[in-house]
Amino acid sequence: MRRSTAWTVAVLMGLVFGVTFLLPLGTVVSGGFFVGGKFTLRYLIGVFENPVYAEGLLNSVKIAVGTTLLVVLIAVPLAWLGNRFEFAGKKLLSGLVLVPMVLPPFVGAIGFQQILGVYGSLNTWLGTSIDWLGRGRYFGVIFLQALALYPIMYLNVAAALANIDPAMEEAAENLGCHGFRKFWKITLPLMMPGLFAGGTIVFIWSFTELGTPLIMNYTRCASVQVFDALKEIGTNPFPFALVVVMLLASAGLYALSKLAFGGRGYAMQSKAATVSGVETVRGLRSVIVALPFVVVTGLALLPHLGVILTSVSQPGSWYQSVLPHAYTFENYREALGHGITVTSIRNSLLYSSLAVAVNIVLGVAVAFVVVRSDLPGRGALDALAMLPLAVPGLVMAFGYLAISSYLGNQDWVKESRFWQSLLDVRTNPTLFLVIAYAVRRLPYMVRSSVAGLQQTSVTLEEAAANLGASPARTLRTVTLPLIMANLIAGVLLAFSFSMLEVSDSLMLAQRADFFPITKTIYELFQLIGTGKYIAAALGVWAMSFLAVTIIGASLILGKKMGQLFRV
Amino acid sequence: MKVTLQNVTKRFGDSLVVNDVSLEIADGELFFLLGPSGCGKTTLLRCVAGFYIPEAGKIWIGDTDATNLPPHKRDTGMVFQSYALWPHMTVRENVAFGLELRGVSKEEMARRVDEALAMVRMTDRANYRSPQLSGGQQQRVALARALVIRPKCLLLDEPLSNLDAKLRLEMRTEIRRICKEAGLTGIYVTHDQKEALSVADRLAILDQGKIQQCGAPCEVYERPVSKFVANFIGETNFVEGPVVSVDEKRVVVQADHGTITSSVLPAEPVRVGQRVALSVRPEVIHLGEPPRDGVNIFHGELRESVYLGEMAQHQVVAAGTTVKIFDLHPQILTRPGHSKQVTVWCRPENVVVLTR
Repeated sequence: MRRSTAWTVAVLMGLVFGVTFLLPLGTVVSGGFFVGGKFTLRYLIGVFENPVYAEGLLNSVKIAVGTTLLVVLIAVPLAWLGNRFEFAGKKLLSGLVLVPMVLPPFVGAIGFQQILGVYGSLNTWLGTSIDWLGRGRYFGVIFLQALALYPIMYLNVAAALANIDPAMEEAAENLGCHGFRKFWKITLPLMMPGLFAGGTIVFIWSFTELGTPLIMNYTRCASVQVFDALKEIGTNPFPFALVVVMLLASAGLYALSKLAFGGRGYAMQSKAATVSGVETVRGLRSVIVALPFVVVTGLALLPHLGVILTSVSQPGSWYQSVLPHAYTFENYREALGHGITVTSIRNSLLYSSLAVAVNIVLGVAVAFVVVRSDLPGRGALDALAMLPLAVPGLVMAFGYLAISSYLGNQDWVKESRFWQSLLDVRTNPTLFLVIAYAVRRLPYMVRSSVAGLQQTSVTLEEAAANLGASPARTLRTVTLPLIMANLIAGVLLAFSFSMLEVSDSLMLAQRADFFPITKTIYELFQLIGTGKYIAAALGVWAMSFLAVTIIGASLILGKKMGQLFRV
Repeated sequence: MKVTLQNVTKRFGDSLVVNDVSLEIADGELFFLLGPSGCGKTTLLRCVAGFYIPEAGKIWIGDTDATNLPPHKRDTGMVFQSYALWPHMTVRENVAFGLELRGVSKEEMARRVDEALAMVRMTDRANYRSPQLSGGQQQRVALARALVIRPKCLLLDEPLSNLDAKLRLEMRTEIRRICKEAGLTGIYVTHDQKEALSVADRLAILDQGKIQQCGAPCEVYERPVSKFVANFIGETNFVEGPVVSVDEKRVVVQADHGTITSSVLPAEPVRVGQRVALSVRPEVIHLGEPPRDGVNIFHGELRESVYLGEMAQHQVVAAGTTVKIFDLHPQILTRPGHSKQVTVWCRPENVVVLTR
């Protein structure tokens, strides 16, 4: 890649990133520290002094810690079993384990409450009236989030385990170390980078998760408090300060994990010549190994099952009963006949497609500079493009909203219908939603493109150039076809995660005719009467759509899927 | 401690990787398993280490039947091809690991780790982590880690294959010195015949999971028992033909370019008329005046010489057969297209008759 081209791409990327990523963050930070043009720590300190906010933050930390611990407990044993044993149905089961990723946990919350609520299926079946979701619904929230987020940890840990040279453990056995001790002293430290990478994402994700606590009615946590304070965005600095605290906590954790492990695994000397360490189990032992996969997948699909059942049950017919009394497809008809659901599907498709188009251009360009140029600081560009993984969606959404509300109050915007529909989310959130979706999904695109380029030897491109192909022709006829699989996988992931995006969608879309799917589900859910059932029907639609794309991506990417979820 | 293998067989699926191998390795012996890739040598070593359990046969380490023992109970010290140094531990921690498991006291552990590091000359790198070390240094730490537990036998799986040529030469004498100083029994897997010939006390040549020949390096080199062994170790010229006469001292074979006499009788008796192969090493064929009463004298054409400094490789064509000759301190050289008439000869004791 020519130096000048590389510089152009890098500078352009820097600019785009500056405006779409750093500016919103800067707005949030300055909103928290600068009030009336003066620097103050009053509001930041105030967040901790105010008992309501302090409790909210503490609860958010509790949610994050609880969720992360639960995720470790679920994902590490699964990944270990998958790494060590070959058993009947392993391919299918290790694919099914990833399925929970296809649904934002907040949609699952609808079905979850049907099954585990005080008047839900389980209690009716057991003849009890236990509050399974726990006091203040804390356990419900972390359980639901853990069941939705463990695939991220699973992918990371599985990748880390696969990366360990089997000779590392054999050496330990050779010296007399085996069993749990071997795991503790050798395997665990070696997979720590993967564990930490996955843990960081899960922690940040659950720390700032908005949808789940909202639907579970766990309102005393920071994310919901920020959401509730959105109306005061122009006047009250406290929400800014609260968001700043969340941002600092997330960024701090991210920096810590980068410092501790450099974000990468231990580079192994080489893969051992012999394939070993994988034991093929048959018969009863195979069932024992497969059982945890079945149990976890079953539990994780429980909320989804609840959503599906809710969507086909006669409104009001699933109350104090194990299963609904009466089934109907009326909810689907109503969902598709309901004005806002159809427009919301159309809106989501539009926003996501535009965002993905932006991502392809940006992602491939960045990947080229990172892999194929000798630009100084190209590593920094790579790190920059991955940064959105470390910043909570809630913080970004808040930043965008703050910018939009600032711009929307300027006279030149107010006076022009064009500017108003472009820049004021109250009029039309399309631009901001597309930017928000694109920036937050950029890491997936960059990662998959970088991986593709790294696997494609540069000599293949040199051979084309040597035979007289121009750089553009080389790109079109050699490079792109070779990295196509990676691009498709990246596109599918970016697209599906945009489709089920929660924080930006709930916060930026404010007019019903511009609602994306997630916001519509949330709004429908709040309607008394049939709302819940229609919301579930729409949820099932989104779920099936995303299942297809995620399965497609994992078929294309295979084991490399884990790379997309690493900071 | 001595290591005994009795009829060991190991298969992976349908392929027979180790086929009925029996070996006896004496206490303090440095024994080499040599063979082309895929011959089963590493598999055999891993059977001794306990990473594979053979389908049939027995493995004895000392007087213990180790056939079904798990790896961690065998007390073997293994040096892996990839070294397998744990990147999350320092050099010292890597080396001390085996001692910790053996419940060695703090003072003794410190002493023995220092001793082992000194033995491999890595004392000054004790607090480094493995990624900071060069290949040769990692190799030495891996050796120290295996040695420090005073294993019943040392297992080396192509330990030098990831090093550059110069370092390989240095390390192979080093490994022999250390093993001999510690009086260790060692089993060493390699595909590098130079390594095996120069370091081994005894060696076994494996092919397709079977031992082809087992013996001291010079025995295997000078008296190969089969065409495979003669060809695998060193370079050689094969000549085939029927036996024309045989007595207690010599075998005469009719080759295309005349009769060749061998004074090396094969283990299995040969009869007149039987087709045999003769192996003659390039360095035992001489150019120039033969001795007066000599046999195996041929006239041919020197077609090509490759000058290598201390020696030259010649190609001589006699009666339509091309013969390779190594000439130490070469006097005659030729270029392609400038062939010369020469006389070549070799002694009967350097001609090996092969029936397999």
